Amino acid sequence: MSLKQDIVWRVGIVYLVIFFLALSIVGKILYLSFVKGQELSQKARSLTLKDITIDSNRGDIYSSGNRLLASSIPYYQIRMDLKSTAMQQKVFSEKVDSLAYCLSGLFKDKTPSEYKKELITARRNGERYHLIKRRVDYNQLQELKRFPIFRMGKYRGGFIYEQVNRRILPHHNLASRTIGYLTRGNSGNVVGIEGAYDHELKGAKGIRLMQKLSGNIWMPVKDGNEVEPKDGNDVVTTIDVNIQDVAESALLKQLMKHDAHHGTVVLMEVQTGDIKAIVNLEKDKNGIYRELYNYAIGESTEPGSTFKLASLIVALEDGVIHLDDTIDIGNGEIKYYDKIVRDTQKEGYGKITVKQAFEVSSNVGISKIINENYKGREHHFIDRLYSMNLNEKVGVEIKGEGTPEIKYPGDKLWSGISLPMISHGYEIRLTPLQILTFYNAVANNGKMVKPRFVREIRYHGKVLRSFDIKVLNPSICSGETIEKVKQLMEGVVENGTARNLKNSSVSIAGKTGTVQIANEKYGYKLESKISYQASFVGYFPADNPKYSCIVVVNSPSNSVYYGNLVAGPVFKEIADKVYATSLSLQDGFGDLKQRIVDPPYSKNGNYQDMMVVLKTIGIDIDGEEIISDWIITTKRDSFIELKNLLVRDEFVPNVVEMSMKDALYLLENAGLKVVAKGRGKVKSQSIPPGALINRGTTIILEMSFI
Amino acid sequence: MRERFWKYAKGDRIIWAVIFVLSIFSILAVYSSTGTLAYQRMGGNTTYYLIRHSVILFVGILIIFITHLIPYRYYSRLSQVFLYLVIPLLIVTLLAGTSFNQASRWLTLPGLGFTIQTSDFAKLALIMYIARALSLKQQVIKSYKEAFVPIMVPVILVCMLILPANLSTALILFGTSIILMFIGRISIKHLFAFAGIGVLVVSLFIGGAFLIDREGRISTWKNRIEDYISGESKENYQVKQSKIAIATGGLFGKKPGKSIQRNFLPNPYSDFIFAIIIEEYGLIFGGLPILFAYLFLLYRAGVIVKKSTQTFPAFLAIGLVITIVFQAMVNMAVAVNLFPVTGQTLPLISMGGSSLFFTSIAFGIILSVSRGIEKNQMDAEPVTT
Repeated sequence: MSLKQDIVWRVGIVYLVIFFLALSIVGKILYLSFVKGQELSQKARSLTLKDITIDSNRGDIYSSGNRLLASSIPYYQIRMDLKSTAMQQKVFSEKVDSLAYCLSGLFKDKTPSEYKKELITARRNGERYHLIKRRVDYNQLQELKRFPIFRMGKYRGGFIYEQVNRRILPHHNLASRTIGYLTRGNSGNVVGIEGAYDHELKGAKGIRLMQKLSGNIWMPVKDGNEVEPKDGNDVVTTIDVNIQDVAESALLKQLMKHDAHHGTVVLMEVQTGDIKAIVNLEKDKNGIYRELYNYAIGESTEPGSTFKLASLIVALEDGVIHLDDTIDIGNGEIKYYDKIVRDTQKEGYGKITVKQAFEVSSNVGISKIINENYKGREHHFIDRLYSMNLNEKVGVEIKGEGTPEIKYPGDKLWSGISLPMISHGYEIRLTPLQILTFYNAVANNGKMVKPRFVREIRYHGKVLRSFDIKVLNPSICSGETIEKVKQLMEGVVENGTARNLKNSSVSIAGKTGTVQIANEKYGYKLESKISYQASFVGYFPADNPKYSCIVVVNSPSNSVYYGNLVAGPVFKEIADKVYATSLSLQDGFGDLKQRIVDPPYSKNGNYQDMMVVLKTIGIDIDGEEIISDWIITTKRDSFIELKNLLVRDEFVPNVVEMSMKDALYLLENAGLKVVAKGRGKVKSQSIPPGALINRGTTIILEMSFI
Repeated sequence: MRERFWKYAKGDRIIWAVIFVLSIFSILAVYSSTGTLAYQRMGGNTTYYLIRHSVILFVGILIIFITHLIPYRYYSRLSQVFLYLVIPLLIVTLLAGTSFNQASRWLTLPGLGFTIQTSDFAKLALIMYIARALSLKQQVIKSYKEAFVPIMVPVILVCMLILPANLSTALILFGTSIILMFIGRISIKHLFAFAGIGVLVVSLFIGGAFLIDREGRISTWKNRIEDYISGESKENYQVKQSKIAIATGGLFGKKPGKSIQRNFLPNPYSDFIFAIIIEEYGLIFGGLPILFAYLFLLYRAGVIVKKSTQTFPAFLAIGLVITIVFQAMVNMAVAVNLFPVTGQTLPLISMGGSSLFFTSIAFGIILSVSRGIEKNQMDAEPVTT
């Protein structure tokens, strides 16, 4: 074999080896495309395409007067990609000092050197999502965008910001527990209206299909969204911010005075069941009263004397007693088996009428009436209570309503003393809201309506749904009985336990209650003192009930614990203030209207707007038939005279004597540029009315108050 | 035009054709795959890399043209000079090179502001030197002392100097050297024995690296090898993306410029350019033409060997061709995940300056040999006829 041949066969072998390598490459390509093809394409799709959800804007919660109770505002989370491939080391090293200085200056939480150290460490660790600040507002964001390094943008500057919406309550603590909140995540903690109406408020998330470009850059596949996000609906509550404020401050004052553990106030509109105010205050660890738990809705306790109303309604309805029947309450003590029931006034009253027994809240009297008349047919008494819905939840949408407990003869816990005990409000449990609903039914002439927290659902200002008054029981008892018990409740204030509420500016009817707390949470003792729950529930004005209200103050530790003294003043203060601010409650308003003989001066302006105002305040109008959208007003002796103000296209309108709002609307719509000088109404206009409009020219308005 | 080209360009026309085919793929694939880079570094000026790469390719072809005009016999002497030059350069690089990816591979040429990957130069120098040594020692080629040792010493020296910074290049160069020595008729017995030792040394080195487990280069290979074995991890990301590119490219590809994976593959314009070519042109229009181009190149080198009347040009041509083709095969095998990730470029296709220029010099030398042989034949022919 020649040298050449020897070399050539060796080359041949090498060629073959490499040829096989090439073949196996082709083989692997075929294997990847045909055997693994589908799996890999799917993987590719999952890696390169994704649906991102676009959060919807959560709806707002409004008060009945359209004031914001809860709303969402955006804030931003600032992060930094310190390992962005486009971030140059030179730029970073040069600018890190000034960036740290700027950050420190803006947030004032760390020194520039701390920031610098943090940034350098994060860069060394290659952090791609380094948290700079968790919560910055829009203005701060704009400033951050101009900072060194950050101003180079997302890629070269590594600047990342993410919008997060935060829920705020503009009125802070005010009814905050009832407005509620949603906890993030899956804990499922939903509270108050936020929780109950989450399905309305949350809206619908949108979906956008994104394709990955590189790094962490995603590009929408289409121009629009696959599914557009839908804003949440707004929830309009029945809460009246003013009344709520009054109720809260009245309760707070009393809680502080008695160093109480917690208290609650609910104020309801008699005819509609609208909850105008709901306050829950509890002393926190630091001794500050805050809305921590919705006691009004959630806490079932023994109601005590306030329940005597229900007992008497049953007895009166059955005709077994009359208001002026007498009962002997002896020395104010009576024994049922081994249980002694005492009246609060130790000396006793001797023989008193049924009405007096209620007015002075005699435990002996009421329990004696019920025990004597219903012993042996206890189930009849309890059935009667049940027929007044007292054993049912009122069914509020807000989560956590306490279950009412009124036991039935034959129940395991029913005993010989159950009937007399129940008759004056023990051995049963009701929430403050449930008691109020019952009293409200009495005030509403027997018609029991469901407490209403939400009046309507709106979307972008348009009403989607309104919630009607829901009647729970059209008539809890006869009209006759209602009249009788109304007298009883008026008597409580007039002659009975709540005489301290007598000198109120509005007539009040109601019932006091004082009960030893049998609460699982606290037991019968709290801090080695017997704890009490003082309450007052009633309505006002007594002769024509407009509002009903319950005040409960829990475990006052001072010796003053009677319902009338602790809860009564809160009720009175609320009633006084609500009365003072509600014109419709006051007599003589109608006369007042008649006395307006001198109509006010009015500017010229929009016809529709003007009519709304004039009709509302009851000003008479006269003059020619109005055919235009704009009017000229003239003040006369007893009315306002209206004339047409004609606005024609292409001609400058007469805006003299108009407000700025109307003038601006007319002139800018006509294509003029408006420059206004001074304040007040339009006194003169630089282009006379009726001139041809030359679009874009400037018209100067002289404004003045005279 | 064509006439004029062939007037000046001599040597194997098929090799020239291979160069042009590869260059065209190079421009297309680099243009398509540098989009992201252009956005990251050049503010979205995508033509920047197109123009830059075209200029580099043009310079490369110019280098081929110039080197192929130099008679191959000069390369014999030059190979010695190169080798003496490259060893200190490798040492300097290792000690003070510019660190890319924690590997001291690059050397900034003083005064030129130009970086070269010293190992590219070393590859060229070593293969040329082996070709020379083999041809000089043909009389005593089976001798251990007179042929094997003198050739092996520089091979080991160069490979060991490349090894710490660039394991895969050292291994490929070592493999190519062994193959070339096999072709050059060195005793197979000695080669096998030595290959065994080589494997042992590398194993010890890797083993040591695993034990020391320091930050830097060592952990990079450690990861790569572990990834290939375990089949899951960070580095595996590129392999997964590469496989997706190939699978979604299939037989006919997604059409030029439609690659999606270029956005996910790190270095889609160098290490994984083959995957992008398959993705856009498919096996039929991208994979096979490129594979055939390299196989043709190897075949034509065989033809040169056959035609050659002297051993040095034959060894020189086949040695350089094997270097190029072997590296190409490794690159493609990595892209299709037959081999673990190495970081080898695809010769004449991947974007890059230094490596492309040295590849160009290699092609120039191959063509110079081819030109010389043709000339010899032409000179000889009149005599025989």
